[in-house]
Amino acid sequence: MSQRPATPRHGLLWHTGSPRTTLALLALLGGLVLLRPGGWPLALPLALPLAALVVNLLAALLRHPAFRRQVPLLVAHLALLALVVGVALGRLLALDGHFELTQGLPFDGQLIDRQAGALHVDRLQQLAFRHDGFEIDYAPGRKRGATRNPVTWVDEDGQPRTAVIGDHRPLVLQGHRITTSPNKGFAPLLRWQPTVGTPVRGAVHLPSFPVHELRQSREWQLPDGRSAWVLLQTDETLIDPARASRFALPAQHRLVVRVDDQRAELAPGEALVLPGGTLVYEGLRTWMGYRVAYDPTLPWLLAAALLSALALGVHYLRKFWSGRPATVAAPAARTVGVVDG
Amino acid sequence: MDETWWLRGALGLYAATAAGVRAPRLAGAALTAAVALHTAALASRWAAHGHGPFTTMHEILSSSLWSLALVVCLAWWAVRALRPALVVVVPVWLLLAAWLLLADNGRGHLPPTYATPLLYLHTVVGKLFLGLLLVAVALGAVPLLRRWPRAAAWFHAAPADRVLDELAHRFAAFAFVAETLMLIVGAVWAQDAWGRYWAWDPLESWAFATWVALAWVLHARGTLRPTPVRHGLWLAGVFVLAFLTFFGVPFLSTTPHQGAV
Repeated sequence: MSQRPATPRHGLLWHTGSPRTTLALLALLGGLVLLRPGGWPLALPLALPLAALVVNLLAALLRHPAFRRQVPLLVAHLALLALVVGVALGRLLALDGHFELTQGLPFDGQLIDRQAGALHVDRLQQLAFRHDGFEIDYAPGRKRGATRNPVTWVDEDGQPRTAVIGDHRPLVLQGHRITTSPNKGFAPLLRWQPTVGTPVRGAVHLPSFPVHELRQSREWQLPDGRSAWVLLQTDETLIDPARASRFALPAQHRLVVRVDDQRAELAPGEALVLPGGTLVYEGLRTWMGYRVAYDPTLPWLLAAALLSALALGVHYLRKFWSGRPATVAAPAARTVGVVDG
Repeated sequence: MDETWWLRGALGLYAATAAGVRAPRLAGAALTAAVALHTAALASRWAAHGHGPFTTMHEILSSSLWSLALVVCLAWWAVRALRPALVVVVPVWLLLAAWLLLADNGRGHLPPTYATPLLYLHTVVGKLFLGLLLVAVALGAVPLLRRWPRAAAWFHAAPADRVLDELAHRFAAFAFVAETLMLIVGAVWAQDAWGRYWAWDPLESWAFATWVALAWVLHARGTLRPTPVRHGLWLAGVFVLAFLTFFGVPFLSTTPHQGAV
């Protein structure tokens, strides 16, 4: 009397956990990544084969007892499963955004653009740090070198802290990773002193330097609706393309200010008297563009990925160095395809 | 002596490894000497420019040719079955060498985000991956090539197809582990350098597709039980994908992440 197999050969579990299903899903995954139909963002189209691979793996675990007995291979696959789940969870909790910050002014939590997951809780208002200017080296040809950006903040114990960030050294505040970007430039500080009322201060972030070196102008909106057009004017070569150089504020400069039909060239501390008030040029500072990223799953993703690679390495070491020479380890000796990895 | 002389000597010796068809011992000696000279060429350039071979196409091709040759050389001494298969990798070396001779060997600029140990780790595991995969391809190609009557004599000393197939699988398996580590280290580096660990830029997409393709081959070998010839063809396909990822995508991509380190 023949014994019935634990899993019917044509049952749902049999097909779902089949190694052939794994092959089909891997081919679909690779094809989608390479072909990217219509130039779609990849996250959504990939979710389907990845979710199907997760189901395929879970079904394979139930279907193949031999799979469960090979502990390193099992750990490698479970770590991959944890990685996929962790990435999905991370995207729900994550925040990615950009902001610009004027030298010496605290970050106010406002982003220029942002992409937040459905479960993200915004805590940017608590990240009150400021930057104290920066140094950027340039090689001949204006090839950007190292960025050194000193930052100051108050930690959770109320202690003032400082650090120098830049390039691949982020500032990490309450799980938010704040990274400098190639965007940076000059920021004239202006104060509008109305004849009646409260003064207003503001910093005008001129276009990124040196990329937009020849159009260092921008408009600033006065509280009464008029716009002030400002232009940074200097005769200095701030970053000499012919030699190694460093980003620096100009030693001598003027700020050209135009409001309606009035025009003035102001040095720091000088003012332009206008109907209804006075526009004071307080001085020149820098601004830095930052990228902020928040994803609490990052350490777990790294742990899962490393565990998977390590377990796979152990699996192959045990499999290939178990005393069997290559001559006897032919595929015909195997019992279940998926467990071979 | 500057880099050029060391490099010319090394390239000549790489070409001499083609002698492996008739004189395997001579080919092994030529390969070992080529790697030694090439190491001197890279060291000389590193000392002169103050940074490793990570920036220009000349540096990338030179370091890639060196790392492929080093992995193959170590495998040649460790795995006797590889010795008759050495001739399979020569066309890859000649392609890289010809390209290297055409590339501008001027000074490059080390980007600021390269000042991290992750650069070295990412590069080492990446080059290890490509080297191990090349060895797997060399072993896996013999069952196919020995069916060609004119080439049959080249591989008369090679073991049976099944043995070569099993060895190719072993090298491919460790190539997969190295590639996994390359992707992990690259993601850690990207998180700090650009604020994201993965963005599906062209290089990341092709690298992931290569990883999936190799995973497919490793799974398919156990599931579909291919003949050694078919398995060898699959591995060659993965190598083509990996080669395009390393040396083709940097020409197509306009993102800051051009890779090919």
